[in-house]
This record gives sequence, structure tokens and C-alpha cells, in this order.
Amino acid sequence: GGVVRGKPASPQGGSGQKLESENMVDETSDIETLLKEEEEHKEENSSSMETSGALKWKEDLSRKAAEAFLRQQQAAPNLRKLIYGTVTEDNEDEDGDTLEELGGLFRVSQPDRGCKHKADSLDCSRFLVEAPHDWDLEEVMNSIRDCFVTGKWEDEK
Amino acid sequence: MATQAHSLSYAGCNFLRQRLVLSTLSGRPVKIRRIRARDDNPGLRDFEASFIRLLDKITNGSRIEINQTGTTLYYQPGLLYGGSVEHDCSVLRSIGYYLEALLCLAPFMKHPLKIVLRGVTNDQVDPSVDVLKATALPLLKQFGIDGESFELKILRRGMPPGGGGEVLFSCPVRKVLKPVQLTDPGKIKRIRGMAYSVRVSPQMANRIVDSARSILNKFIPDIYIYTDHMKGVNSGKSPGFGLSLVAETTNGTFLSAELASNPQGQGAAVLPEDLGRNCAKLLLEEIYRGGCVDSTNQSLVLLLMTLGQQDVSKVLLGPLSPYTIEFLRHLKSFFQVMFKIETKPCGEELKGGDKVLMTCVGIGFSNLSKTLK
Repeated sequence: GGVVRGKPASPQGGSGQKLESENMVDETSDIETLLKEEEEHKEENSSSMETSGALKWKEDLSRKAAEAFLRQQQAAPNLRKLIYGTVTEDNEDEDGDTLEELGGLFRVSQPDRGCKHKADSLDCSRFLVEAPHDWDLEEVMNSIRDCFVTGKWEDEK
Repeated sequence: MATQAHSLSYAGCNFLRQRLVLSTLSGRPVKIRRIRARDDNPGLRDFEASFIRLLDKITNGSRIEINQTGTTLYYQPGLLYGGSVEHDCSVLRSIGYYLEALLCLAPFMKHPLKIVLRGVTNDQVDPSVDVLKATALPLLKQFGIDGESFELKILRRGMPPGGGGEVLFSCPVRKVLKPVQLTDPGKIKRIRGMAYSVRVSPQMANRIVDSARSILNKFIPDIYIYTDHMKGVNSGKSPGFGLSLVAETTNGTFLSAELASNPQGQGAAVLPEDLGRNCAKLLLEEIYRGGCVDSTNQSLVLLLMTLGQQDVSKVLLGPLSPYTIEFLRHLKSFFQVMFKIETKPCGEELKGGDKVLMTCVGIGFSNLSKTLK
């Protein structure tokens, strides 16, 4: 049974990966066009206004943002990276970070938002629904129709 | 014996149970520091102290050190012993909080565990005894943990804040666990539920049933929701009512949802009709997430796969909960096991959201106490 089930799964996984990489390419090219447009825009700008030095710092902003976005996209971690990429035993560093001293006497106690909150939050296995669907809508109800025996069955069965 | 050097170190009170459970199973000591260190009321709470006492009861030779403020805990696990045990759980958390850890440990005891737990059977925070009975027990059976003595019985129901509930959990021991291939959840063939009420009119449960059915009937006709109205000493110390629902598939997958009324004296009164409807919608959310294991039991299935024979195990899950993600990290630290994680987009099928296929090779964990037999 396991072998038969395993077979259709692998090409599916492959296509999934392909899709993902295509998406990546799409996004990258999107950003490239965005960058190009930005450059053109900048050229227009500089030709019309000549050198307005005061606003020079602004020119690069969207370009920088786009580059930062691109970098982030390339580094977009997959689920495995998200799970195993971060080190959980980083207590020692944390200690160092949080113990900033003021005048060698007082400690600055900063609630280190995300991380600290998580460390001391409720130990509970329940997976709360954060954005519930509107189950009164026909469309939403249809999204799970085939999970039931009353829904559509695959041809193979 | 193991020394400090081998111990793992963590900070904060979150994930306390999974850390102590994995420490017990792997034999690696843990040190947990800065437990609510910045809280006005720092250190371990009563319910956590009760959990640690429970661990001490079911093991032999555990060493537990807690500093004066309760902000640092050192735990050097002993051997899992089991046997007949009784435990009064803190009413600040439900019995489910304690039971979840026992489900992880019970199959590996020296003597089969037979435990009576007293406290809160149903609350708004933890998985209730009803849900664990309906979802976690069938899951353990998939791994070969089964037998006549395998049961979870609700003797008395107790709602917060008073508690007064009592359950009996007994679990056989196994030398090894079977690997599993849970890749196709099948289709939901029926929905079962339990509407309970204690120290309020028994009519409450009937009103819950009607409203929950009105929503679920749009999907499937085979729905049966039992009503359970315990009386006298069996109804605990506080009034309340609630509903748990379980969707069962053709392949033996159980997906669950539940809701309980607000504890006496906390928050506004909840209408049983609203509770029934909202709980039904929560079950639809769980079905949308889908997979072969209910979202509350994700970490249990991953643990049993890790501890299984040296063979490949696979399980299809819905989106991973934050609790599960942390559990996967802990499995890596304690057992050096990393899962292969593949996202399965749902595509054209009307089967809810994207799923995740988790694959690992078991470490061949065997119950040391059983090897000589």
C-alpha cells in the first residue's frame, strides 16, 4: 500500500518545487523591471531639476528598498530553514544583550519584545485560529467540500 | 552519571513540558533559567510545580533542583517507572495539560502506568480529556500501543475554577513502536461529539447540540452528538457546559474542536446556542487545516515517529503550530533527529489549505526496562 501511495506523491512534490522556483524567477524579474523603471524615473528627475542636492538622499530610497526586498526574497527561508535554521540555545548571547549598564551602576531593563515574550508565554499545545473564515459564505464552505465522503472522489478510487 | 556538561540549557517558562518530557526520554538533564524572571510574581507557578511533582512520581531517581525564587530549574531525569499512581493536578490548568505529557511517556514505563488524575477535566485553555480520549488514543494505537488495559475514563467531570473532576488513564508498555505511513487522511464519514453540562440545567446540552448540528448538517448527514449531564459528586465543584466535536475519516483520522463556557465569575455568560455554533465552525477550521493528525496532536505523532524503529515514517499534517515548530527544534537538540519537510499545495481540490508532509527515520528507541524480558 505504502509504495503505491508513495509514487504519485513524488512527481507532485517535484512540480511543487518547480512552481516555487518559477515564482521566484517571476518575482526577481518583477523587481528588476521595478529597478529599471526607478532608474529611468531618476534620470528624468535629474534632467528636469538639475542638481538639487538637498533631496539627493531621497533618490536612492526606493532603489535601496527594492534591493533590500530582493535580498530578503533570495534569503526567504523555506519551512525547514524556518524551523531548524534558528538556534534555540542562544541564552548566553541574550544575557549579554540585555545587561546594558548605565553609568556602570544601573541596568537597562528592556522588554525584548518578540523573543522574551515567547520565552515566558503560555505553554499550550492548542493551535488557535487567528483569522477565522466566514463559514456562512457558500464559497468558503465549498473550499472543504471534498474532505467529506459526500464530496467529489478522485477517479482512481 | 551525567554531568552538567551534557545538560541542555533553556530560558523562560514556555515549552516547559516538552523540555522535561524529552529530557526524561533522552536521559539528558536540562537547566531552565529565567523563568518569569521579569514578572511581578517571578518563578514557577503552582501548576508547573504540580507537573514536576507528577514527573517525580512516575520516575525513579530523578533529581530536581529549584532555586529560592523559583526562576531556575535543574532536572536530571531518572528512569521511567510507572505503576499505580494518583495525582492531584493544579486547578489552574486542566488535566489535559498533564495528560499530554503522560501520553508521551506512558508507553515507555517499566511497569504499565495506571494513574488517577484529579482536577479540571474541561477548560478553555488546554485540550480536554474528551478530546484527548477521542484523538490521541487512536493515534497511539497506530503505533502499536493497544490492548485491553488501554483506556482513558472520565469518572467525574470538573470545570474551573473549582475543579473536582477525576479521570483514570491506563496505558500498556511497548518495547518498540511501529513505524507509520499516515499520508492519506481519507474522507470524513461521520462527526461525533459530546455536549456536557454540570451544575446547570441539563437542557443546556440539548441547546448546544441543536445549534452545532444546524451548521454541520450542511456538510454531512451522519452526525451524532451525545449529551452528558453528570450529577452529584460526579459533577465537580463549579457549574459549566461545553462541547467537543470529532470528525472521523475513512482512514482513521480524527480531527477535533472544542469550546467550554466561561468559568464561573469570569467574563460574560455564554449562550449555549452561540457556543454550539462557534464550536462547529472551529471544527470546520480544523478540517480546512486538515492532515492525518489533529493540530493538537502534531507533536505527539512527531515524537512517536522519532522514537520508532529504524525505519521511515511519514505523516501528512496541516500547517504546523508554533508549539510543534518548537517541538521539532527540541527533537533535534535532544535526539539529533531532523525531519524532511515538504509543502504540499492543495491545488484544484476542494480540500482546504496547504499541507505539510513530514518524513523521518526513527532512532530505534527501545524501552530499556523491557529488554531483559
